[in-house]
Amino acid sequence: MNELFQDLVVQMLIGISTGLILALVASGLTLIFGIMDVVNFAHGELFMLGAYMGWVFFTMTGSFWLGLAAAALCVFVFGLIMQRSALRSLIGSDPLTTILATFGISLVLQTAAIWIWGPTVRRVGAAFTGHVAVFHLQFPVYRFLVAMLSLAIIGGLWLFMHRGRFGLWIRATTQDRQMALAMGIPVPLVHTVVFGIGAAMAATSGYLYAPILGVDPTMGVNNILRAFIIVVVGGMGNLWGSVLAAVFIGMLEALAVIWVSPALAVIFSFAALIVTLLVRPTGLFVAVPR
Amino acid sequence: MRQEGHDRRVDENVWRPGTITRRRFVGVGAASVAAAGTLGAAMLVPSPWRRAFGSEKPIRVGGIQPLTGPAAGGGLMAKVGQEVAAERINAAGGVNGRPLELIVEDSEGKPAAGIRKTRKLLTRDLVDVGQGGFMSNVCIACMPEYRRARIVNMIGVCLDTTITTSRCDRYTFRPFDYAPAQAVAFAPYLVNNIGKKWHILFADYAWGQSTRDAYRDGIQNQGGEVVDTTGIPLGTADMVPFLSKIRGDFDGLFMIFFGKDGVNVVTQAYNLGLHNKYRFAGDGAAVVAGTNLPAQREKALGFVGIDRYLPIFQGPLDTEHHRKFFDAVFEQSKQYDPNGILPDRYSQSNFEALNILKVGMEACDFRGREDTEKLIEALEDLQVYAGDDFPTGDRLLRKADHQAFTNEYIFEVVQGAGDTYQPKVLQVVPWQDTIVPPACQFV
Repeated sequence: MNELFQDLVVQMLIGISTGLILALVASGLTLIFGIMDVVNFAHGELFMLGAYMGWVFFTMTGSFWLGLAAAALCVFVFGLIMQRSALRSLIGSDPLTTILATFGISLVLQTAAIWIWGPTVRRVGAAFTGHVAVFHLQFPVYRFLVAMLSLAIIGGLWLFMHRGRFGLWIRATTQDRQMALAMGIPVPLVHTVVFGIGAAMAATSGYLYAPILGVDPTMGVNNILRAFIIVVVGGMGNLWGSVLAAVFIGMLEALAVIWVSPALAVIFSFAALIVTLLVRPTGLFVAVPR
Repeated sequence: MRQEGHDRRVDENVWRPGTITRRRFVGVGAASVAAAGTLGAAMLVPSPWRRAFGSEKPIRVGGIQPLTGPAAGGGLMAKVGQEVAAERINAAGGVNGRPLELIVEDSEGKPAAGIRKTRKLLTRDLVDVGQGGFMSNVCIACMPEYRRARIVNMIGVCLDTTITTSRCDRYTFRPFDYAPAQAVAFAPYLVNNIGKKWHILFADYAWGQSTRDAYRDGIQNQGGEVVDTTGIPLGTADMVPFLSKIRGDFDGLFMIFFGKDGVNVVTQAYNLGLHNKYRFAGDGAAVVAGTNLPAQREKALGFVGIDRYLPIFQGPLDTEHHRKFFDAVFEQSKQYDPNGILPDRYSQSNFEALNILKVGMEACDFRGREDTEKLIEALEDLQVYAGDDFPTGDRLLRKADHQAFTNEYIFEVVQGAGDTYQPKVLQVVPWQDTIVPPACQFV
């Protein structure tokens, strides 16, 4: 079998798995923006915080799944506190204000992580350690598992938003905040809970990523830039748009790797971002009203 | 209605203006004054060196380290090395009867921030000598600042070859090894004991590129061959796109990374099964540093590396000097990790860099930045010997290029007691056998 075909198969696998993992990071970000118009620059640090929380519980209990639950729960509570104490009074103000506030929080969290857990990289053992032979590589099963879990979590979020009263409140708040208030929906509570859910999604992705990347205070920085690209390409506030954009960006970079250096492949993501902003500023996967 | 009115009165009493009585004002004022007084008194408490040396003016040593950003892990350990050395020097009476005052600024691992902080050290803090620097691109960017200020710059970690070759500078010294010396020491082992064909994976920036060139020359000079090289940008979290392209007929994968990138490259290459086909080797403790091994664990088993320092007590490292250094760094590192962090090449090289400055300053009776020329002369061709100041052994700081030559340790990662992993020394290469000709023309 020729090398090009092998590369195509390997890179498509990498692209899809990476895309779905990034989709989880981006979906939390887009959810928060969709409801509150807050561009959360601390999302990467919530990702990192989740990895640390999971690592702490993983170390204590030895259970990967308990670590996952603890990461999501702890950072959900942290998200509630962060929204209530620092962001609630800024909602509706100049977007620059919330950007600066969340950026400040990100710096505080990163430095706090260095002081609390130290600068060394921590390790979380993967839930599955098996491999699948794909031509010249042994592809780790865990990567597929994380991709599937990401998809399941996003699906669960979609169900939460489309079944039940709280989901209805969230959708109503997204459509028209003032009207939702007038109809008696507790909009401040919706904002706080949604921020908590977004934070928990960042934490979940951070913990799921931990066996691949290791846990360290700067681990959020790398992924957050790509998550922002995905959110813009997919359409700010559009959940499934983010998923599609994540797979699209993941595949774009992976396939580009066949012909150019992986270091240059990221240029294709930025090109996609620029084209999106020029041609469809609302996002590639948002239906244009006729 | 009555309840509503009551609530409003309570609110007004608690929150509205007009409730600040004279008594409350005096009480709050007194508390504020007391707090400010306590803070002020705390600020007036003399620093440890001021207590020991009275009004003696300190010799100011300033440097930059990446205390935040991707290289913060190594930067903090570099700072620990500096702190341990400065405390030890001051406890022993300082330098020429004067205390050392250490000022460390955060370079964030970025050249622009590094230059800004270096200028601050040179112009506002008026440091007498410079000692520090971690990332090679930052060190290279800051070298002209020291040259312009005519201040000695004793580098702490930066390994880019050009610092003491094509970019060499009369004011800059590197008191530890560099890639050409390591390659001379390591290439024979790689080619004769592991295999002739190599693929080099490197951190794609100044240090990684110059180290790649040094090892390519070293392997070729020994009759080996470098079949391909792959550069991975610094700080890349997911290296799978790079690693998935590696295939072909060769014997070993030579890795040139440090810090978190070292953890990622070993872990992710192992996860893709590359260890089944190729032997992992590399620029030693930078990849499998003591701080990285707990995260790499069994994935680093069998890794063969070279380094100037290893946190173990074997061969020439099984000395009382080394134990003292080891214990002091481990204790000092607890400010960043309550469990303590094992000493590494970053804490070691900064510790010894500050000590070699002390030896030079004592030799020339250094009083301040006006004595820079005397200090340069004292440091050139300075030979120092194993002891508490230099726990890793003897070394020479060559006059021709301001480059030092140190003992090198070739090691393999093995499983230690219980569930730990540690380096085991396979061969010691004395510093005399690592010497390469100078390639520097001072301007």
